[in-house]
Amino acid sequence: MKPAPFAYAAAQSVDEALALLSEGGEEARPLAGGQSLVPMLNFRLARPALLVDLNPVDELAGIAVPEDQSLRIGAMTRQASLLRSAVVGRRWPLLTQAVAHVGHAATRSRGTIGGSVAHADPKAELPVALTALDARFRVRSRERGARTLAAAEFFAGPFTTALRDDELLVAIEVPAPPRHTRMAFAEYARTHGDFAVAGVAVVVAPGGHAALALLGADAVPVRAHAAERALRDGAAAPEVARLAAAGVADDHRRALISALTERALRTLSS
Amino acid sequence: MHINGRVCEGEVEPRTLMSDFIRHQAGLTGTHVGCEHGVCGACTVQLDSEPIRACLMLAVQGNGRALRTVEGLAGPDGALTALQRAFTEHHALQCGFCTSGFLMTADALLRRQASDPNPAPLTEAEVRRELAGNLCRCTGYEGIVSALLDVLGTAS
Amino acid sequence: MIGASLRRREDARMLRGETRYLDDISEAGMAHAAFVRSPFAHAAIESISVPEAAEGLVAVITAADLGDAVRPFPVMEPRGAEVATAEAHPVLATGQVRYVGQPVALVIAHSRALAEDAAELVEVEYEPRPVVTSPRDSDLTLMRWHRRAGDVEAAFAAAAHVVTGRYALPRLVAAPMEPRGCIASHDAAADLLTVFCSAQDTHRPLEHLAHILDRPPSAIRVIVPDVGGAFGSKGVIAPEVAAVAAAALRLGIGVKWAEDRLENLVTGSQGRGIEGELELALDDEGRMLGLRARLRSDLGGYLLTTTPLPPHTAATLIAGCYDIGVADVEVVGARTHKVPIGPYRGAGRPDAAYMLESLVDEAARQTGIDRVTLRRRNLIRTFPHTTPTGLEYDSGDFERCLDLALELAGDEAQASDAGHARGTGIAVYVERAGGAFESAAIELLPGGRFTIASSSSPHGQGHDTTWAQIAADRLGVELDAIELRFGDSAGAPPGVGTFGSRSVAMAGSAVALAAEQLVERGRELAAEVGIDADDALNWTALAQAADAPLRAEATFRSANVFSSGAYAAGVRIDRATGVLTVERLVAVDDAGTLINPLLVHGQVIGGAVQALGQCLSEEAVYDEDGQMRSGSFLEYGLLTAADIPPIVTGEVQTPSPLNPLGAKGAGEGGAVGALAAVANAVTDALGGKYVSPPFTAEKLWRALREVDEAAGPR
Repeated sequence: MKPAPFAYAAAQSVDEALALLSEGGEEARPLAGGQSLVPMLNFRLARPALLVDLNPVDELAGIAVPEDQSLRIGAMTRQASLLRSAVVGRRWPLLTQAVAHVGHAATRSRGTIGGSVAHADPKAELPVALTALDARFRVRSRERGARTLAAAEFFAGPFTTALRDDELLVAIEVPAPPRHTRMAFAEYARTHGDFAVAGVAVVVAPGGHAALALLGADAVPVRAHAAERALRDGAAAPEVARLAAAGVADDHRRALISALTERALRTLSS
Repeated sequence: MHINGRVCEGEVEPRTLMSDFIRHQAGLTGTHVGCEHGVCGACTVQLDSEPIRACLMLAVQGNGRALRTVEGLAGPDGALTALQRAFTEHHALQCGFCTSGFLMTADALLRRQASDPNPAPLTEAEVRRELAGNLCRCTGYEGIVSALLDVLGTAS
Repeated sequence: MIGASLRRREDARMLRGETRYLDDISEAGMAHAAFVRSPFAHAAIESISVPEAAEGLVAVITAADLGDAVRPFPVMEPRGAEVATAEAHPVLATGQVRYVGQPVALVIAHSRALAEDAAELVEVEYEPRPVVTSPRDSDLTLMRWHRRAGDVEAAFAAAAHVVTGRYALPRLVAAPMEPRGCIASHDAAADLLTVFCSAQDTHRPLEHLAHILDRPPSAIRVIVPDVGGAFGSKGVIAPEVAAVAAAALRLGIGVKWAEDRLENLVTGSQGRGIEGELELALDDEGRMLGLRARLRSDLGGYLLTTTPLPPHTAATLIAGCYDIGVADVEVVGARTHKVPIGPYRGAGRPDAAYMLESLVDEAARQTGIDRVTLRRRNLIRTFPHTTPTGLEYDSGDFERCLDLALELAGDEAQASDAGHARGTGIAVYVERAGGAFESAAIELLPGGRFTIASSSSPHGQGHDTTWAQIAADRLGVELDAIELRFGDSAGAPPGVGTFGSRSVAMAGSAVALAAEQLVERGRELAAEVGIDADDALNWTALAQAADAPLRAEATFRSANVFSSGAYAAGVRIDRATGVLTVERLVAVDDAGTLINPLLVHGQVIGGAVQALGQCLSEEAVYDEDGQMRSGSFLEYGLLTAADIPPIVTGEVQTPSPLNPLGAKGAGEGGAVGALAAVANAVTDALGGKYVSPPFTAEKLWRALREVDEAAGPR
């Protein structure tokens, strides 16, 4: 399966990338790691007139912990870099656990955090983990400058984000977790490395912080608010799990999410 | 670009995939194409010693970069690597089509372990997970797993 | 040499990347093919309009252009079967399409990408017609076979127990890692059509092309290069290959078709796709008195050459390893609007073992007789044995296989508990192997070296090392004195093909016979010229002494031989999610004499893992419009290294009396035994409730709930 013809431009800076996207309009698409976009090109499911290659833009990649102890991930940071990051593993282990489930070594070497997030596959792990961490998505365009979106605003539907044609996701900011926060990720996939059918990301901290995000409950990551309240109120795992799954229409999917929630909560306690 | 230490030049369309450039323009047909959507792993090569899917990279993106393919594994005198010899010893290949992809994935893993000052020994389950990104339809994976465990065990 | 687990000589080229698979081959001036394919499962073609020009476009060819330069595919007629040969697959669609993806037009351009671009410019007007996706709704029978043996009514009337079961196996895709493909070119001066083909042998492509193109076989040369797996799907040539060959003849240029994965998943011939209703009559001690079977196959839109074969094979093997003299077996192949069925690893053998062994376990549950005891009471123990379906089993020791499988499986598995439903399953199987003929030609070269031309070509099985072992054993030489040649119809000795677990028994025996004949000639020559001839012949001296190169040729022909075995599986199902884990699999196979046990082991594991794929995740899914939904590896779930349970193997060797090696065949046993054993384990875990594979979490979760509900409050 060979792609339909397209033009190619390698951006050397964020400004250049934005200019190219702005000029190209809806016929231009950014190329990040290519692990989601190139298959679509090969199947001719995507047929952009222009690909704007972000890979040469060094300023878009990198993991940093600014003074406020939050986490700043450049959109072009490779999934493999996130997986190997010691600081992420120590303070935001949910991300480490989630990205370990994303594809395989040979796709994580090229695949990016921003690319995965902007692709917004309902079965993807990173959007769910970032939603549980109250991540914020920093977006820029040439015309309108920068804006920051919360997860619920960013993920709009299946394979749909709030990004406009001329906008680029430049970074993801994850707030510093409270002290003694524990995190866990659990998913079910049909075969190893396959896309998740259902998954759960949990973040819990003493003093009343609880976040529980679901994969497979809807076409976007969903925060299970009732379950979060129950967690904060000290409810037992089965009750939290029941509440997390309650809104899911399909009964088997409900059972999966409930079981995965219990499994994630058990991992937290141990 | 460089492939296996040699300069490879060519004119490509933007849509030319790296897998097709390697095979048909650089003439290195040891890298195989099994799916063109990044799942089967037959096209796995190494970019800066990291495994990548050649079918998901555009040839033009390789400009100025260095790739290693299966043809670059054996020594300059043609001596097979310990990994390649282990594949024969453990009957890790039948039709051979997936083999180059597995070798590049396994070789990258061995390089990572070797460059880690304190590599954690890998269990069989972990080795199987590391290999889960390459599909084989002939062997049922048993020989491939044994071969890699053998080399990892000898290396440690 | 015989029985030695030698490492393969063919590996070095593969490990270095020095192999030449079809798409690695290029000819100067070669053009590339892509196809316009039907988006509808059933439609009339009203018109086809072709672009006047497009970048790099060489030609667009339709059935109208080919006219009667091509005939539809030949269709085999298994003995005793009625086959609707008029429903043969055309080369390109002639006025109608009967499955999504059916090739309608061939587009040839300077590159594959340009050919795909041009294909998008071809406009086809379709008139959609109603789509049939279930054999039950079919209006056309494509094949039928029926056999009665003995007084069936009397057997059932006398029965203390009549056990009924209904079983279904969905369609699967072969999905070898290398898709199909060919390069065809015509030398006008010599009037020779040369076709490189990723195929299982040279013989069938040659035969099919000769028939389709109405061309003498001597005017066609088929070359099979390195092949990246086949599993039955590269036996019959693809319609696309016939189209490309016809185009090469017409256009006078070389044309390559390198199938991509989308084409391979959607239009490659599929396997399984069968339902069955079986009834077993037993006396009060569990002896099997009679068997009735009604099998219905989902055959697809047309008949390819071997489409009738898998359902016929399933029907003939339906009595399995049991001494049942009375049977009434019918198989009907229904036309549906899907890709045609073709042989896929096992090709009817797994289907038969699965249904029969499921029924035997059901009989155990119904009669209260232990499932192992029930099997022992009915296993065939004397050979040769003729089945009610007309097969003659040459040799075997089914009970020893069963005993060894049970021993390897060990003690009772853990019981079910609140968290998991657990089950164990066993299955015995027999499969048809060998048959027809193969040949080999051997020649002594200077320096005491040998070259052997074999009629049988490999696609991963290790023919090179294995035939070299056989020859080295007979000739009394080292392995590296022997060179094998396969895969070129020019100069190939006559043969049938590499399929159906037949190569060692047939082609291996031909190599043995040819080598033995050469030894005889060697001894004669040694006597003539006064060379010492003790046990080991001095081949180097003989090569020097001979006026003309010493040669021998042998054709080996025999009836079918029968491999068998017994498999055992243990599974657990997570009650909360329905997720199935196969905890262990035991595989005991009897393939007669094993030339190279290491390679046989590889075949067993490979086949078993394919069966596990059918159990856990593989299914060719069609929606009600006949759209094939499993068009990428994201949808069609092949197992990875991380999904495989521990597999323990054992072997029994009952040599076949039908060939000089005593060999049978090991290529398909894993695919046969593992499916039946795992399926029985799942049914056991469900307390006897039947679910068809794949055993997805959703199916098992729902089944467990139904079982719980039926059981009522505790």
